[in-house]
Amino acid sequence: MSAFSTPAFVLIVITAMVILIFRDWRINTIALAVQYLAAFFLVTLSWPIEVAVVKLIVGWMATAAITFTFLHQKVTETQTESEASLFFRGFAGLLTILAIFVLVPTLKGNIFPELEPVILQGGLMLIGMSLMQLGTNSNPYLTIISLLSFLSGFEVIYAGLETSTLLTGLLAVVNLGLAMVGVYFITKTAEHEDNTDLEEPS
Amino acid sequence: MTLSTPILWVFLPLLIAVISAVFYKQKLLSVLLTSLTAFTLALLATFFPEDMVLSIGPLTLVFDDSLTILGRQITITYEILPFITLLYAMTGIWVLSSSFADAPALFRSICLAITSLLTAALGVEPFLYAALFAETAVLVSVPMLSPAGQKTHRGILRYLTIQTLALPLILLAGWLLSGVETLPPDSPLVTQTILILGLGIAVWLSVFPFHSWMPMISEKANPLVTSYLFFIMPTATLIFSLNFIDRYTFLRELPNLYEGLRLVGVIMITIGGAWTAVQTNLKRAFSFTVLAETGFSLLAIGLSEGGGLTWMLALFPIRALEFWLWGFILTLIEDHTGDLDIPAVQGLARKYPILSIGLLIVQLSVAGFPLLASFPIKIAMMSATFKLDGALGGWCFIASLGLVIFTVRLLSRFVTPKDAELSQKWIFSERPYEYIPILIVILFLVISGFFPNTFFARIIDTLSAFLHLQ
Repeated sequence: MSAFSTPAFVLIVITAMVILIFRDWRINTIALAVQYLAAFFLVTLSWPIEVAVVKLIVGWMATAAITFTFLHQKVTETQTESEASLFFRGFAGLLTILAIFVLVPTLKGNIFPELEPVILQGGLMLIGMSLMQLGTNSNPYLTIISLLSFLSGFEVIYAGLETSTLLTGLLAVVNLGLAMVGVYFITKTAEHEDNTDLEEPS
Repeated sequence: MTLSTPILWVFLPLLIAVISAVFYKQKLLSVLLTSLTAFTLALLATFFPEDMVLSIGPLTLVFDDSLTILGRQITITYEILPFITLLYAMTGIWVLSSSFADAPALFRSICLAITSLLTAALGVEPFLYAALFAETAVLVSVPMLSPAGQKTHRGILRYLTIQTLALPLILLAGWLLSGVETLPPDSPLVTQTILILGLGIAVWLSVFPFHSWMPMISEKANPLVTSYLFFIMPTATLIFSLNFIDRYTFLRELPNLYEGLRLVGVIMITIGGAWTAVQTNLKRAFSFTVLAETGFSLLAIGLSEGGGLTWMLALFPIRALEFWLWGFILTLIEDHTGDLDIPAVQGLARKYPILSIGLLIVQLSVAGFPLLASFPIKIAMMSATFKLDGALGGWCFIASLGLVIFTVRLLSRFVTPKDAELSQKWIFSERPYEYIPILIVILFLVISGFFPNTFFARIIDTLSAFLHLQ
């Protein structure tokens, strides 16, 4: 599986950038699903496939829950954004990528000597990008996607440090719980929009 | 027949919570199920025999104090039971009172689920897995803080984000701690570990500047719900955090650890007090007081060489009752006035004198006003701080006045009628189910002020669960 590690890392960078830059739920959920696949390949560097696959399944379940909820809601048009805001987020993402490349050798040398650099880079990339996302938006579904991405990054790194069935199970519960909270928020937002529409004078 | 204590205090209430969630629209059934479960578990924890053998008629139940799940254990020992008594007894009170106050329908089930998850967090081995149970409790708490039909506000997103950020920090610190125990104290890895651990606990406890979600949530959510959250989360986190100091010798012997905790505690008391004094919304004022109260708990840990942990534990039940009463009264006032901005409650005492007096008394009690419940403990803490560092003690005292100033501002508004109500006479408009619980708890708070350790002395036995901190 180590042959897939570099493509997996590249996929993580691309998907994290896509989630950071774009606001369309269709693009973001597809990117999240691909991101979970890439994270799975990085986890297989530390864990056996049969355990690592749990993370992939859980991630895809979380993504599916969010996607299907969106599909069942009234489709609202995505707000058009200025090119400047897209450029700003893209630039912020590039800076994050740069910072992580600078940070990884120090972290590997001082704290995580036993981890492969690609694991650390992949994990930190997800963490860094999602933190950037969390700091630049207040949209419920984007917050949840960022938190899922953040946890995914942490799990990639933590898988190289500790193997525990209970931990895997509890992290799966937390991921699915977050997805359920996301579903709850999406449904609530749609209901609220419906009610607001009804209240508006014709 | 052999059972285990985690089944009794974790899985049974969790099951009941799920069942009551199914019937959440049937208010009476839901209240009965959850409150009876909580009170029964509290009573069981109070009277549980030390040998863990319960004989009910011909039936003898032998309890094991641990349960193995997927190679790891959840352990609930006899020593931690006084604390569990407090958690379940207070959960019972919150759940029961939710039937009078207008709390979200799912509050009762979620309340019981959170308490059982945090109980599991207290007993899970390795103990750093507690972070996962706490995170699950945070996720479960979302529907009660942002009920269906209400717009998702930014406070709930920030709460979710900040609490989730704590999870990796705690897990990582736990992993690092297992490796640094044998290192010399001046190793850079030890410092890094302590920084990550400190950051994790600070985020989790909502230490300044990670507290920003508290006033935001408080402003939007039901006060009874937030008062429960503001009590249970920091209290369980503080007890969990004691595990770190108890288990790692190098942390206990770390120079400046206690000094640092005292400083952080006083900073939080100062910030919390100062912001409370200038608030114009009753719910926001409550959240800033919670910040100051967390500061008092950290100060108490910082004073642990002089008995601070005893003070911290002794404050828990008093704080629980005070927070409950504060949340209960705010909910009732909001029901009556529709708003909790200070201008909206002007002249309230003329129509609802018991609610008004109750709120003022509970605020003074939290502030550590003489002859009220917190006074004996807070005065001891402030004296001990003053002896160690005059400046810190001074700030602590001055900041405590923040809530008193807010109370005086509120008193003046409560008795001043609105222009349109100048001719209104003073009347009692409260219903018995509103004023009876208030009067009972105020009586408790007053008696506790006169005779400390009358009701809640057993909570201090929780310290016996921490071998190196007694």
